Amino acid sequence: MSDKSLHRRGRTRRQFLGDSAKITAAGALAGGFPHIARGNDGIRTIGLAVSIINEIQGKASEDLGFSIRGQALGYGAMVGKMLNQNDQYEVAEGYFNDMDVMIPSKVWQPIDTQRIPEWEKVTDLAKTGRLTPESKPGQGDAPFRHLWLDADGNRVEGPSRYISMLPGWHNADSLGYNPEETGRPIESWAELFSEDFAGQVALLNAPQIGVMDAALGVEGLGIFQFGDKGNMTREEIDFLIDFLIEKKEAGHFRAFWETFGQSVNLMLNGEVVLESMWSPAVTAIKAEGVPCVYAFPKEGMRGWHGGCAISARAEGAALDQAYEYLNWWLDGWAGAFVARQGYYMSVPDNVQKHLEPEEWDYWYAGKPAAKELPDPYGTIIVPEGEVRDGGSYWDRFSNIAVWNSLMDENDYLVERWTEFLNA
Amino acid sequence: MANHAIPHHPGLIGTGPGQAVRRDGDASGERAGSGAATPAAGARVRRSHPGGHAGWLIAPATLWLFVFLLVPLASIFVFSFFTSTGHGMAPEPTIKNYVDYFEVEGFFDPEARKFLKPSVFLSTLGTTFRFALTVMALCLLVGYPIAYFLALQVQAFKWQLALFLLCMVPFWTSYLIRAVAWLPMLGRRGLLNRALVELGIVEKPVSFLLYSEFGYTMALVQLYVVLCVGPIFFSLAKIDRQILEAARDMGASAFQIFREIIVPLSLPGVAIGMIFIFVMLMGEFASAVVVYGGKISTVGTVILNYYTFANYPFAAVNALMLMVAMMIGVIVILRVVDIRKQL
Amino acid sequence: MPAKPRKSAEARRRTLVKSGFGVYFVVFLVFIYGPMFAMFILSFQGPKGGTGFPMRGVSLFWWDKLIQPSTVGDLKGALVRSVILALIVMVITALFSTMLGMAFRRPFRGSGALFYTIMAGLMVPGVLLSLGLATLLKQLGLSPAWWSSGLGVHVVWTLPFGFLVMMAVFNRFDASLEEAARDMGAGEWTVFREVTLPLILPGIVAAGLFGFTLSYDEFARTTLLAGEFNTLPLDINASMTQRIRPTLFALGTASTIFSLLMIGLFLLVYTIIYRRTQ
Repeated sequence: MSDKSLHRRGRTRRQFLGDSAKITAAGALAGGFPHIARGNDGIRTIGLAVSIINEIQGKASEDLGFSIRGQALGYGAMVGKMLNQNDQYEVAEGYFNDMDVMIPSKVWQPIDTQRIPEWEKVTDLAKTGRLTPESKPGQGDAPFRHLWLDADGNRVEGPSRYISMLPGWHNADSLGYNPEETGRPIESWAELFSEDFAGQVALLNAPQIGVMDAALGVEGLGIFQFGDKGNMTREEIDFLIDFLIEKKEAGHFRAFWETFGQSVNLMLNGEVVLESMWSPAVTAIKAEGVPCVYAFPKEGMRGWHGGCAISARAEGAALDQAYEYLNWWLDGWAGAFVARQGYYMSVPDNVQKHLEPEEWDYWYAGKPAAKELPDPYGTIIVPEGEVRDGGSYWDRFSNIAVWNSLMDENDYLVERWTEFLNA
Repeated sequence: MANHAIPHHPGLIGTGPGQAVRRDGDASGERAGSGAATPAAGARVRRSHPGGHAGWLIAPATLWLFVFLLVPLASIFVFSFFTSTGHGMAPEPTIKNYVDYFEVEGFFDPEARKFLKPSVFLSTLGTTFRFALTVMALCLLVGYPIAYFLALQVQAFKWQLALFLLCMVPFWTSYLIRAVAWLPMLGRRGLLNRALVELGIVEKPVSFLLYSEFGYTMALVQLYVVLCVGPIFFSLAKIDRQILEAARDMGASAFQIFREIIVPLSLPGVAIGMIFIFVMLMGEFASAVVVYGGKISTVGTVILNYYTFANYPFAAVNALMLMVAMMIGVIVILRVVDIRKQL
Repeated sequence: MPAKPRKSAEARRRTLVKSGFGVYFVVFLVFIYGPMFAMFILSFQGPKGGTGFPMRGVSLFWWDKLIQPSTVGDLKGALVRSVILALIVMVITALFSTMLGMAFRRPFRGSGALFYTIMAGLMVPGVLLSLGLATLLKQLGLSPAWWSSGLGVHVVWTLPFGFLVMMAVFNRFDASLEEAARDMGAGEWTVFREVTLPLILPGIVAAGLFGFTLSYDEFARTTLLAGEFNTLPLDINASMTQRIRPTLFALGTASTIFSLLMIGLFLLVYTIIYRRTQ
């Protein structure tokens, strides 16, 4: 397998070199329009390591016959590049909670759904916020609130022909805990502040997201009710941060984590027993033999949703290829790949075609694993008989309390969060 | 050290014995000026004949700094007066960003929570500064003897350099990796805790080693101490050992020699090392997250937080204020030890 | 013969002091290599183990992973780019530092301004320097790349370190030797090459080493200026959004061992050259 992928990479690089020589020549002849000629040597895509994975872009290059080169970045570097250098990529694998920055700055072009043949198959989660007719849409930057655009890239009430980003991978986050250490199942966000776990709790150190977990906890305690957790007022932020400062000064928090790996290490190394967490992190901990459960709190989970957007600078052949790549994501292979890491894809029907029935039952349907299941690279991570925490896909996404959001009062939030960290 | 590099010119490098005593005098009276009557000053006058101007020596670096530093710096300055739009910035001049930086709601209100307190941003700067000072002091304490050992106890130049490079090696591993590597060392299940438990010093693993001020300070010292060992080593290595021998023969005690000769001569190295560590620590943002578990916010973190969600003007203000603080720090250090004196 | 017993007591005392320092040096090495030690052990973690203790078996699994193509990013490519970049930065830093050090030996107009401009390179926060330059490049229609704009800001960052090292070297630098050479009729270039250069060579090496080390590790300044290919710190940063694997420790251990080998090689070459010149 590794030999094959080495080969593949070698070939694309040679192709790339040959093509770029052609382009230089073509550019010289045409009097230099590098951006128009650009399409011939394939496209560039940037994002987080969640979706920029060599296997995924490699398979897409193989299937589509042109090179798709991914550049994985950290979150801050990614947003900075998406916003400031849209000539440096054709496809941006972004997140709906950044749309308040991305849509008004017009760095991406509206995507024409008529060029997305499978658009009908994309579930209503992204389109209306309701995966099933009974589900509640959740507060905050749910995809459907940032999805619909007009042909000029301005927001409109949906549904419309144009969208900001093609909905892709997503998940619902909650709390991860070590059941042997907590001694009881965790069923509410309020447990984040339980005295029983003082000094053994970690929170996510991104102000925008960390406050939401905290807000869910405070609501769970029943001491405060927020109007909209996805867009808090100054008074609400003040109440919450004051509460958190009190807790921090009492030594309640062991740490604040910033990256996936840190959250895993905190639990693995026994530093914390309970923390806000991403679901694949729980899978990673269990794979190392440390007991860890993904809580399914009664208040609901915190959702996030990623997808593929197209740079406003992409045109001509590059634009066509960008669309091809977007459509390739909807085909299901990539969805199946990320499913084995615990993420969901906006076209479950197509993903099902690329998963074995046992895999589908475990990852999406919430049934016990009928056999041992591998991660995308073939390592067994799910033992036979295990059931995925949080139930089926439809259960999970019918109960989203709030989506990752960028609030209007973000600047004030960052200021108060800084005060909290330094308290 | 240099005299070992070229064995056939012993004693001609660095300062002669007489010079050292004189330098010693004016270094302890720091700002005493350059002592115009000294032979060195005379030499400088004579020296200025050939070679002409420094022009071609400074031109490439100046040009480079202009393009890659001054021009971007000017644009940062301009950005700091732009208006934040929530998704970037608009070229509408405003001083709001500066006001926001300093303004404290309820500063004059005795009832208010923030009565007479500095703004969050200023106090973050203060916290960062306080950490910088602590770590600088510790680095000096830990690093000075090492530099002394390398420069004055190790004889052969070859071994001096080899041992110095040995100290540099951990520095060649990405600091992201090094910071992560502290975790299995200091954590509750880490090596240190296991050693403590097995030696019977503590009953069960202690948690104050990691994600604490203690662990953070220790990690910072480990990360940056080499930065001050280097320059101190270099200035100590230039001391001619014959001076030390001479002083010893004249009956000076080891402490006297250290205080009267070695310390003054090493001051430029100390100053440079302190500048290195100071600027590194003021700009620090990654270790706080990894080793302190993000339980503290540095100015670097604040800048990143505003940068990530496109409030570039405010990030620029924070950056400029940080630069002002750093510049003051560096000027203070250079006031105490004028490294440009008598070049 | 009263001097003799005094001398031997003195010698004994000196040996004692020296061994005291020796012990302290070893303790110091243990301190700065401490985390490396944990890293070294954990790089041999079993396939099921993580980046913390306990060890779950012993294997070369993660070393093998290091050699194989990575799943996120392009560790090997990024490593090569970072090393090349660091080498270029090293040369430029050493060269500029030496030239500036030479220039600053004599007062010249604007030396104060230039001094603080160089210092400003230490102080300007990386992400904003990167943003400032990226904005300008965009306006000019130029694309950033690690070997162009990346190189530019790396040198801005490393130059003050090299420059200050050279300041330390030239501080209290005795010019009489150069004078003597000049009096004997040597030209400026000859004086520099034959007299000055050998004296300041260790400083130049140190300036270059600072350049290499700081560039190899630089992250913030590169964020918007690396262009389409990541440098190693950018790649490591990107992989942090995934699980941290012992592969990272294998990489760290490998680079430590590599550095130690380079030092050994350096010592060997030095000894050979030294013997030949004797």
